Amino acid sequence: MATKASSSRRNLHAEAVLGPELSARLPETKVLLVGAGGIGCELLKNVVLAGFGNITLLDLDTIDLSNLNRQFLFRKKDVKQSKALVAAKTASAFNPNVRITPIHGNIKEPQFDISWFRGFDIVLNALDNLDARRHVNKMCLAANVPLVESGTAGYLGQIQPIVKDRTECFDCVPKPTTKTFPVCTIRSTPSQPIHCIVWAKSYLLPQLFGEEEDAGGELDEAEKQGENAKEIATLRKEAQAFTTVRSALRTQSKSESSNAARLAFEKVFHGDILNLLSMADMWRSRAPPTPLQFDAIRQDTFKLEKNGSLSPSTNGNSQPNSSIPNGSAIPASGSAVTEKLLNGSHHVIVSKLGLKDQRALTLQDSLELFVSSTNKLASRLQAGEDTISFDKDDDDTLDFVTAASNLRSAAYSIPGKTRWEVKEMAGNIIPAIATTNAIISGLIVLQAFHLLRKAYNSLHNVHVQFKPSMPLSSISMSPPNAQCGVCRDTYTELPCDPSRVTLGEVVSGILGENTRDVSVYEEKRVLSDPDWDDNLERTLESLNVTKGKFLSIVDDDGEYETVQVGISALPPNHPIDKPAFILPDPLPSPPKKVKPAPAAPSTPPPAPVSSKKRPAPDDEGVPSAKRLRTTATAPAPFTPSKKKRLEDDGLILLETPDEAIDDDAVIVID
Amino acid sequence: MSAPELGNKSVPLQITEDEAAVYDRQIRLWGLEAQQKMRNATILVFRLKGVATEAIKNIVLAGIGKLVVIDSEDVAEEDLGANFFFRQEDVGKKRVEVAKPRIESLNPLVTVETISDPSLSEGENLDLLINTADLVCVTDWDREGLIKINDICRRFNKPFYAGGTYGLLGYIFCDLLKHDYIAPDRAAPKEAAKNVKNTTVYVPLKDALRHRWTGLTRKQTKELNPAVVFTVLALWDYQAKYGKLPDSIDHASDLEALALALVARAQVNKQALSTIPRDLVETMVITAAHEISPVCAVVGGMLAQDILKALAARESPIANFFTFDGSTGGGSVVRMGLH
Repeated sequence: MATKASSSRRNLHAEAVLGPELSARLPETKVLLVGAGGIGCELLKNVVLAGFGNITLLDLDTIDLSNLNRQFLFRKKDVKQSKALVAAKTASAFNPNVRITPIHGNIKEPQFDISWFRGFDIVLNALDNLDARRHVNKMCLAANVPLVESGTAGYLGQIQPIVKDRTECFDCVPKPTTKTFPVCTIRSTPSQPIHCIVWAKSYLLPQLFGEEEDAGGELDEAEKQGENAKEIATLRKEAQAFTTVRSALRTQSKSESSNAARLAFEKVFHGDILNLLSMADMWRSRAPPTPLQFDAIRQDTFKLEKNGSLSPSTNGNSQPNSSIPNGSAIPASGSAVTEKLLNGSHHVIVSKLGLKDQRALTLQDSLELFVSSTNKLASRLQAGEDTISFDKDDDDTLDFVTAASNLRSAAYSIPGKTRWEVKEMAGNIIPAIATTNAIISGLIVLQAFHLLRKAYNSLHNVHVQFKPSMPLSSISMSPPNAQCGVCRDTYTELPCDPSRVTLGEVVSGILGENTRDVSVYEEKRVLSDPDWDDNLERTLESLNVTKGKFLSIVDDDGEYETVQVGISALPPNHPIDKPAFILPDPLPSPPKKVKPAPAAPSTPPPAPVSSKKRPAPDDEGVPSAKRLRTTATAPAPFTPSKKKRLEDDGLILLETPDEAIDDDAVIVID
Repeated sequence: MSAPELGNKSVPLQITEDEAAVYDRQIRLWGLEAQQKMRNATILVFRLKGVATEAIKNIVLAGIGKLVVIDSEDVAEEDLGANFFFRQEDVGKKRVEVAKPRIESLNPLVTVETISDPSLSEGENLDLLINTADLVCVTDWDREGLIKINDICRRFNKPFYAGGTYGLLGYIFCDLLKHDYIAPDRAAPKEAAKNVKNTTVYVPLKDALRHRWTGLTRKQTKELNPAVVFTVLALWDYQAKYGKLPDSIDHASDLEALALALVARAQVNKQALSTIPRDLVETMVITAAHEISPVCAVVGGMLAQDILKALAARESPIANFFTFDGSTGGGSVVRMGLH
């Protein structure tokens, strides 16, 4: 139970440094910590020691062995338990005067609505993904609660205090979206190890062990985006031929299932490659792949036609880069000794050559690993597991992806990767250490003190960087981006019963006397526009607009900023005879939009070329045919309804050369 | 199998696959070889207050071989605001003794030794302690004590670290003798980033303190945050003169005078710094004798990170005087007396 901070000497130092006013307020302060991992554990410790009286800590994750090098509130015995619960338990011992409320949950759940966020004096992020960060950013803007954003990776990190209308929000500056690769690069013309790893993880594994589904969907998109139609047709046939292999894997018949791995191998590493080779065009300016031969590899008589170097490239690890020709292994002495002890024994001393996972795999190794992992996965299916998808901590799936990607790499004369490397690449692992998280968490709390004092001129962004003369860079705050698609919106809350209130009631209620032409969205879904009002008489619930979601009321003429209406619950005692919604008072009055600076070109730039040129083999990370609009692009001068009409005529105008189209069905005309 | 014994110098201890599972995320950053070097290191830490608590947490989690913590004081109630190895019921007991099991539980693979008897860290015993360590770290200590221990470390060829906090300010000093290390060339494009060999020759604290700032431009001087640097150096002067840190607004003029004398002697560019801001001086005399956990976390984090870099001989360590300003979050490094 939180008691008022005693006049105990425990707070003596904090009182002297923070001053009597702030230190007296801390026991009454309500703080939300989103995340109890690397940053979260350090942050919780700081916040508890500083005496924040009411701490809510939320995390959806459970504890893993690999967390223990830095998430110091956890012990080995806590593995598999809830991070939020264990962190709260350990940290509460550091200060009996604070109350910690742990929540094992996902911050995006509907119960964490605007009202809930409004219950906090300050929110501190300790997240590890863009999606959750965007969500919390939006909720804090909507609830008008100050937020400190943060992130770390290896030795680097940064913090960013966010205050609505005073500072940039998280989305004022566009963040890079995750890299994707064109379908054809993955499916027919890989040139880098990552292409093969993505192929094994996101194509082969699901095709064999995932849901029975028409893999054609992705191919349909690619075709629409203008990728080579003949190639697509071939790939389509290839995908459909998985049915035989799939049933072989799932059958209980011993003789059939023991052959399933071989069947799969023959299909993807032999048959499918032969089919691709038949498309001569594809190989005119790039080296063709070599179909692999199961028995020959097994007997070590298989010779790759090109010099298929199988050297692992390590990143800063102790192993030197060595080029290994044609499938011969690293000299076996060290690893052979280690091999014998490997099975089951975890106390094995790591050999001089490195961790067992860091061994380079020969072609033979990869084949055997492919067979053994396929068999293990098949047994799991037969034992009742419905579908299996990749999880870097699931040894069988990691083995499978390692083996399959290395086999594919060999066929395409691409260097292979060790299991160690595959785990990092396929698992999107970011190296992490305790110290960076500790530094960042200290910096977060120091900025939090400024926020609580409302000392906005004292706020700074801070970067932990590789600059010897200035390892911690303190940067002045920037004002909000006038074109920001998130924080320039006007946020308001609507407590209501979504099963009774209609869309029309909400919209006219919010607009009040200022009736104007608007389009209404929920996320990307258009619910109504000036030419289409069928949905206005429907209830919110019937439109799947429920608690926690936002209705976006967009001005059709582009004059006013968008109004974001957050749907929340009615108060418990709301009389049944009263309207099923409570309008805000006063009604939101969105400001007029600030036009972008005149530097933008007045004529629309030329649209991109129609039939997508195939990227040259050396192209790195060519943006995928499926590009998503980032949230921080300029608002469209064309309103959505106008845009819809133009689309019906078959025209698309792009505002900037970089603008992405998020409607996948659109065909771009030169 | 229980925690393996500490390897001796001729047979360095190897890490096991199990350890590698816990250390996975950090091995991916600094490599297996660096991890092995840490595994074989013995670190001495003097005085267990806020900064040491944080630094110890970090280096123990990272997996050093052995930690020796030296502090003869008892837990005071005010320690509880920044020292999470202590509990309310520990007040009055020996600091290192109550902390020991909690430090050990952070990482059972690390051997933890504690020394609370002051005689065991004096005279010949001190020499012995330092000689058996691989690196020495002194926290929240006075300048004369730092100089003395630094000199002993030099005699036995041991790297030396000092760190501390004064309210919202903090510092780290190190003397790594002649330090060879490898660091990636971060100016090169990412794919081609090569590891480059470097050497830095350090100087002991007593020599570093004679450093002059002559010849630096206004911009160069300002980037090093001279107001903070000279405030810390002035606090050391004050402590040497009066036997304790300032703790009242009445001490402001004294501290300011000391700082200005140091600034003049060091020939700091007058356009960059002509006076120490009055509010900084006044804040410092009230807060210098106090520690708060976020500042300890930043300084303890930087300190631990540097110790690990020095042990691994990877990445460039601080060269050689780091100061931190908790009100802005900024931290700079001044090369004091280095060539």
